[in-house]
Amino acid sequence: MSSAGTSNKPASGHVSASGQLQQRRGLGDLIAKKPELVTLGLLIAICIAVAIANPAFLQPSTLIDIGRASVVTGLFALGVFVILAAGGIDVSFTAIAALTMYSITLLAINHAPNMPIYVVFLIAVAGGIALGVLNGFLVYTLRVPSLIVTIGTQYLFRGGLLAFVGTTWIMELPGQMGTFGRISLLEFETANGATVSLPVYFLILPAAAILTWWIMRRTLMGRAIFSLGGSPDVTARLGYNVKIVHLFVFGYAGALAGLAGIVHVTANRLANPFDLVGTEIAVIAAVVLGGARITGGTGSVIGTMLGVLLVVVVDNVLVMVGIPSTWQRVFVGAFILLAAAFFVTRQRKFKPAK
Amino acid sequence: MTQNTQKNRCFLELRNIHKRFGGVHALRGVDLSLEAGEVYHLLGENGCGKSTVIKIMAGAHPPSEGQIVLDGEVFNELTPIQSLDFGIETVYQDLSLIPNLSVMENVALGEQLVEGHGRLLRRIDRARMQKTATKALSQVGLDVTPELMSTIVSELPLATRQLVAIARAIACEARLVIMDEPTTSLTRREVENLIDVVSRLRSQNVAVLFVTHKLEECYRIGGHAIVFRDGQCVAQGPIESYSRADLAELMTGRQISEKRYREGSPSEDTLMSLANFSMPGRFHNVGFNLRKGEVLGITGLSDSGRNELALAIAGIRPAASGTISINDKNIRIATASDSIDAGIAYVPEDRLSEGLFLSKSIYQNEVALILRKLAGFMGILDMKKGKEIAREISADMRLNTADIELPVSSLSGGNQQRVLIGRWLSINPEILVLHGPTVGVDVGSKDAIYQTIQKMAEDGMGLIIVSDDLPELLQNCDRILVMNAGEVVSDLNGASASEDDIYQAMLGSVQEGAA
Repeated sequence: MSSAGTSNKPASGHVSASGQLQQRRGLGDLIAKKPELVTLGLLIAICIAVAIANPAFLQPSTLIDIGRASVVTGLFALGVFVILAAGGIDVSFTAIAALTMYSITLLAINHAPNMPIYVVFLIAVAGGIALGVLNGFLVYTLRVPSLIVTIGTQYLFRGGLLAFVGTTWIMELPGQMGTFGRISLLEFETANGATVSLPVYFLILPAAAILTWWIMRRTLMGRAIFSLGGSPDVTARLGYNVKIVHLFVFGYAGALAGLAGIVHVTANRLANPFDLVGTEIAVIAAVVLGGARITGGTGSVIGTMLGVLLVVVVDNVLVMVGIPSTWQRVFVGAFILLAAAFFVTRQRKFKPAK
Repeated sequence: MTQNTQKNRCFLELRNIHKRFGGVHALRGVDLSLEAGEVYHLLGENGCGKSTVIKIMAGAHPPSEGQIVLDGEVFNELTPIQSLDFGIETVYQDLSLIPNLSVMENVALGEQLVEGHGRLLRRIDRARMQKTATKALSQVGLDVTPELMSTIVSELPLATRQLVAIARAIACEARLVIMDEPTTSLTRREVENLIDVVSRLRSQNVAVLFVTHKLEECYRIGGHAIVFRDGQCVAQGPIESYSRADLAELMTGRQISEKRYREGSPSEDTLMSLANFSMPGRFHNVGFNLRKGEVLGITGLSDSGRNELALAIAGIRPAASGTISINDKNIRIATASDSIDAGIAYVPEDRLSEGLFLSKSIYQNEVALILRKLAGFMGILDMKKGKEIAREISADMRLNTADIELPVSSLSGGNQQRVLIGRWLSINPEILVLHGPTVGVDVGSKDAIYQTIQKMAEDGMGLIIVSDDLPELLQNCDRILVMNAGEVVSDLNGASASEDDIYQAMLGSVQEGAA
């Protein structure tokens, strides 16, 4: 790519008072600053390749399929992005989602079958926040790496669900939980006459993405989260309340997980306590493919969403060109390695000259 | 903010402050009072408690005993946000910038945080942030461009980062600005600018507390000297009333003279010679000879190319063209290991990030370069021999501890620097390039480092000292090369040149730019 061209010219024009601040230009620099462009490029390349191989790809229903399939992964990914930005990692969010969605379904069946859907969502979010805040509290007070803490809580939440709440599938969802997933926003007819619809719950993802973007870019909390991911000691020294930031990021990720759990239930019209857990690596992969560094302090909402799209497209679309679904993992794995290698070499090239 | 009628009232007072870290009694009953509109210089050797006292004022550490009085209000301890709220701004030695945020955010975000008393769920006022950052950055003399404002701090060179840290401290309406060695990586021009900033702060009735090792700057700025030794305040008074020797004696408790360390003279044999050394845009046609046992100084403004020249000799950023020969043999330096193989050792300027493994022991740091030599059968390291070598190095470098298992992070700056130099001595280099060897190092450690430098020269090593510290060069070097705009413009005799001579050569044609 353009790497060789830019890196061999250290003195390509400079400005600043001390005359030392180098200003680098060109595609390489742009990619270093906006790693999500790589993700976007990869996504476009795949779509073009698939469209050439199978023109049936180019119809609105494909878009709807992809949109529908991205909601749960996307909500999870936004939570993971926020935690990664703060320098942590979370693997318990799927267990939070499973625990809240199943418990609430049981609650609704047994006590309040006519509960309106927004109450269901509110309870799910509250439950997710509670479990997430517990994560944050443990990470902050125990001073243990969040990976370890959330591996522990994932087992706790999931074990608790299966041991105390229940292990049976619930096929008959009560009241609005059963119907919400079927309300459609848009409907299209496919070439073969079938109708595909974009469900209303799809709107939750863009809403959550915009909220996350706003928090991360426009509030002091967002800047504090990035600070914490950049340098925890300095963040505390500058007067940021590091404890609150910990509770916030894990609580926020928990809230999104609670939301994702209910979306999952209503979309599938089935509450399966064994669902979701096990998908966390794919979600983390999507966030990393979107340009967030696993070491914290970087990433963007746009990148995260592109990463999710990439993973979902690979999951759903490769079948259309005759690649068996067992190969999807091979592709996702290859992309992750490719993207990681690319980002890392970029960072080395653009390390400031001292 | 504060009216002039309140001038000279006591802003901050420390009463009988003690601080213990585990078994270490870092502060032993410190009483201090700082008045608005005054400049103070906190002096003392590394490890005397200066940094601790600053951290107590900034709210980073609670004192073990004693009281802090701010505007007449008594506190047993402060939180960072309380301290900021009272207008105490600190430029920490490690700069304490957030590496992944932009320059603008680093400079001006604190203002909005403090205003909300630390509340985080607030919207950022971006227009105001931009305004505040622009003002502060231009006050410290940076050229404020949209590129600079949006640059991520970790991409900036060290000197610019230091200016950004200072800009952050003056961005809010401060009442006390504490600067912990703010000038270590600044050039003279930038220091002049900082001195202007200080006098402006002073005229706005802001108190300034400097922590520095550069006595020359203290005298230039003027104000009160506060001298610490072993966790106690041993002297306080107008700085003009103390001579350099007085201050050095107060700090160390022993007499240290401002003598010229260089006594020996180099041999006639040329050790290394450089010809037509160039890197476009950085330095051009640099050539010089280094003799055995010679101490050669290289100085210049920070954009004069001297840093790049040092890095090129060390092979870290190799020169584009030119020849280098050692003992009349032409060698090629394309990587750092080429230069190590040729017998050139390079001790970097930024010892914290480029040289030392802080959490590792003194022993592990000192033998880091000779691991291959220590490896025996199946690559198993001979730890016993390694420790022996490390002990020898530590003794040679006169470290203040005999325990080579201590982590380097527990040492003071001066001792850390000695560990780093010691590591390079373990490979018995023929040529040692020292980049800012005493940056951030106290008087006592300087003395030890200078003596080591001279001893190495006596033993026939060729030394190159790249430094900003003119007295250091004059005290130690046989010759001093002065660079300006990428060229060596002057070759001065270390024994007869004056600071003024060097200064003139450094500024040369850019004089009006510096004034």
